[in-house]
Amino acid sequence: MGLNMPPSSYEDASLAAPSAVRSKTKSSRIEDEVMELFDEFRNPLMRYSLSMGLTLHDAEEVIQEVFMALFRHLQLDRSRKNLRGWLFRVTHNLALKLRFANQISFQRTAGDASLAEKHADPAPGPEEQISAAQRSDRLQAVVRALPESDQRCLRLRAEGLRYREIAQVLGMSLGAVSVSLTRSLARLARADGR
Amino acid sequence: MLHRNSDVSRHIPDEELLRSADGELSFQRAGQVEAHLQACWECRARMEKLQSTIADFVRDHHADFDEQIPPGAGPGALLRARLAELDSEPPMVWWKRAFQLRLHFPRFAIVCLLIAMAVGLLLLRYDLRNLSFGSVDPAAAPNRNLTPGATRQVTVTEVCSVPQEEVVGNVSISLRQKVLQEYGIGNARPEDYEIDYLIAPRLGGVEDIRNLWPEPYRTRMWNAHIKDALEERLHEMVCSGQLDLPTAQHEIASDWIAAYKKYFHTNKPLPLSS
Repeated sequence: MGLNMPPSSYEDASLAAPSAVRSKTKSSRIEDEVMELFDEFRNPLMRYSLSMGLTLHDAEEVIQEVFMALFRHLQLDRSRKNLRGWLFRVTHNLALKLRFANQISFQRTAGDASLAEKHADPAPGPEEQISAAQRSDRLQAVVRALPESDQRCLRLRAEGLRYREIAQVLGMSLGAVSVSLTRSLARLARADGR
Repeated sequence: MLHRNSDVSRHIPDEELLRSADGELSFQRAGQVEAHLQACWECRARMEKLQSTIADFVRDHHADFDEQIPPGAGPGALLRARLAELDSEPPMVWWKRAFQLRLHFPRFAIVCLLIAMAVGLLLLRYDLRNLSFGSVDPAAAPNRNLTPGATRQVTVTEVCSVPQEEVVGNVSISLRQKVLQEYGIGNARPEDYEIDYLIAPRLGGVEDIRNLWPEPYRTRMWNAHIKDALEERLHEMVCSGQLDLPTAQHEIASDWIAAYKKYFHTNKPLPLSS
């Protein structure tokens, strides 16, 4: 573990023993910073990893790798611009890599999608009372029937990412993000009888 | 239903409504949309439906996954241990320093080429078999993707107080078969492979497909007996407070052969009698 020194003693120490103490204190600061980001973003990143089809264990492991990569990233004084976007991008890439390694196929056929949507859009009569659970099930079925890229756009937006960040994570244009979100929400609204 | 086509010229299209709600419109356009919404009940109603759909989705998105996610204290402690371990490793930036020393790329490439040629000449000169003492039979290590390791919630006190024989059970035949199939050797003969724990039960490992792999008996150098010695060493270190349990679990799960070399200070297995 690194040293935990207040800023004033850090300055004094760096004068007395320049390189060793400075680098130790820097590592300690970075470690604390990484742990703060871990506390803030673990759950959103876990949700995103799980939504990509990873098991709980794999998702935990991916998140560990992500924050270790962040530690190295900060140690090498690389860009601190938009670390939230960076975290989601690295999580996305590692999760895809792991999924590929596990040879899990998430390809869905058009038939599956249409079946799900058919199931999801039963056009209830006006007098029919629909419980919250049923509504939730229906929405989930529609989400699962969306193309993977649309699902990811939605999930990332739900985690608070801006369009530009989503575009960077998924490697698509800003316009494509906007169109994807609009299309997905229209489907959700349709399934909910809105 | 959200607005789609007919009177786009007069009303705000769905996409713009969404971008307006998300704060993704230009300042000027956002003002125009805001003004339109104040004047147009229809568009305002569509906007409310859109917001309601978003709220439903966000609620479901959280409900879908939040229950599955365990508390972060354990993973946080593991991450801190891993960061400390990373921090103790020398940074791999020699190449960067080479560039910082204004070693221009062509010159740097020539230096690399010369080093590669020197190494090649050395390898040609020496019998490769003489260098093989540190090499590792690929079968001695598990596939990390298939066998990343799995642990149970356990304290150091529990790990150190329960005798080894009480935590190790025989791997069931069905689980054994699953492990072999996962590794693509479902038709292997029982006498060819031992189903071994990656993280030993005495270090908190569990009988789980993610923690089991088929270790061939034919592996001569880095075999199960050598791994047993490492497990014993790590167990002793954990129980004597020289090593924390998450680190021990992580090291044996990441690369048990590297862990053996590290904790026995050797590049090759020590005789088992020692």
